[in-house]
Amino acid sequence: MATDARTLPLARPAPRGIGWSLLLTLPILVWSLLMFFNPGSSKTPIWIISGAITALFMTTLFFMMMRSRSTYRWRRIFFVSLGVLFPIGFIYNIVVMRGTMGIPVEEMIAGRTPFCFMPIPMLILPAAFTRTLVFPGSIASASHGIAAMVGVWLALTLVMGKGWCSYACFFGGIEEGVAAIPARAKIRKLDPRLRYLPWAVLLAMVLLSLALFEPAYCMWLCPFKAVSEYVAARNLLGLVQNVIFILLFAGLVIVLPFLTKKRTQCSWFCPFGAFQSIFNKISIFEVKIDKERCKPCLVCLNACPNLSLSKESVARGETLLSCMKCGACVDVCPRQAIVWHIKGTEIAWKPERARLMFLYAAWAMAIMFGGSIIAQGIATILHFIV
Amino acid sequence: MKLRVVLGYTAAGATVLVAVLTPFLLFPLFSKGVAALPLHVDEVYSGGPTVRAISMGAYSIDVHRPVYPHFLQSEKPFVQLDWNPVSALPQHVSDEVDIDGDGQPDIRVCFEVPRDPKPPLRVDVVSLNPRYQTMQNAGKEKFSRLIVRVDNAILVRVPLANP
Repeated sequence: MATDARTLPLARPAPRGIGWSLLLTLPILVWSLLMFFNPGSSKTPIWIISGAITALFMTTLFFMMMRSRSTYRWRRIFFVSLGVLFPIGFIYNIVVMRGTMGIPVEEMIAGRTPFCFMPIPMLILPAAFTRTLVFPGSIASASHGIAAMVGVWLALTLVMGKGWCSYACFFGGIEEGVAAIPARAKIRKLDPRLRYLPWAVLLAMVLLSLALFEPAYCMWLCPFKAVSEYVAARNLLGLVQNVIFILLFAGLVIVLPFLTKKRTQCSWFCPFGAFQSIFNKISIFEVKIDKERCKPCLVCLNACPNLSLSKESVARGETLLSCMKCGACVDVCPRQAIVWHIKGTEIAWKPERARLMFLYAAWAMAIMFGGSIIAQGIATILHFIV
Repeated sequence: MKLRVVLGYTAAGATVLVAVLTPFLLFPLFSKGVAALPLHVDEVYSGGPTVRAISMGAYSIDVHRPVYPHFLQSEKPFVQLDWNPVSALPQHVSDEVDIDGDGQPDIRVCFEVPRDPKPPLRVDVVSLNPRYQTMQNAGKEKFSRLIVRVDNAILVRVPLANP
């Protein structure tokens, strides 16, 4: 099974035929219909319409991935839609339920605070030492319960590893969308040491959460509280917390992505992203660089939205541990030296097969998790229109 | 090398299978597994388990086990009392409560019960036992010192005096 990397053409391959692309998309179409129109579930007309729009949307994007043989730009359309539609559906729901984006004490005591994935790493040490979950939610609640979210996270992590941050995270799409707006980065020179910051934030937040017995990141530093829900400002402390959330959101999710064309919150700050990087070690899919084909032009370094490539890592023929498997570097490489790869196989041996297997798994998960959030957002918009 | 390739593709195929099975099998399995772990939500939020109920005729007062914060948690130790159901409460509640069950009242609690559930509640607690702290016109400033309406109950959390 010798490598045929050097026999691969240097030019980008021609688009796949429409018939083949449709055939490859067929399983995703069936999966979408199964996810949004599963038998036995009763749906309102608005839900049926939003489900149909989402199924069509996700299937079309997958078809384009098959036809164009590129991943990043089509995934980005999904991901930005997820980032934009999540707050719309979520905020509408909580405002209808409780009349405010602030979490009232009553809801915390009743265990009705929706659980997102961000606090997962911060719950581990308190749970290990005291069997206590430091989150004002419900463990077994079917919707937004801690067990349900941890269950989804476990399953998706098994499939994608750090790919969670490109195919499932319902926050990252906002900054990816902002980063896509300018044609060129205004700030191009970024200190490579900044990529270690999320690990520092993770360590600090995990230890602080154990010491203070609260999800410290959620209480003090999560920029996305600005577009989801926050601790209701009952006193000066609460006011300070909310000002921090808004400033971090403005800085890390709006201004810096616009100036750098990078996902700065993810690259420099997100403790969950750092935690998720660990699971890239167990993920069977990865992105590799064929050192024999690579003439280090370093176009990939600029293209990577997450600072997951360095000169040294390119020389080694691999991405860094923080690689989110978004496909930006693979698509942009002028010599097709960066490839999707299955661990254990030769580098650049049938990379399209590795890409297809990863995309089937990742897109199925994206439809199940992100697709349902997109459908919720569309249903909310339809609710206002109709 | 061939074995590694076979193992690699087997694992990749298994990953696709995991993805397909997730909504039908793995997600419910993982969720039930996590829910079955011997974990509980921090009692500073949940108020701790109810240890006994005091019947007051039309309504009752549930007494919870005292909650002691962990490590550097900013809350004070407290005990939670639930008046329920709200619909059976008089407009003005003034009850002496025997928290520790020794037959002697430990605190006197007074609060108004507005029919509209939205206005914030205020509570006065007079300590009759030095173990419990007095509160005057308390609202919901801290988890260890508050009065709130949750569903069909009014919850009062009384801080314990420093040991």
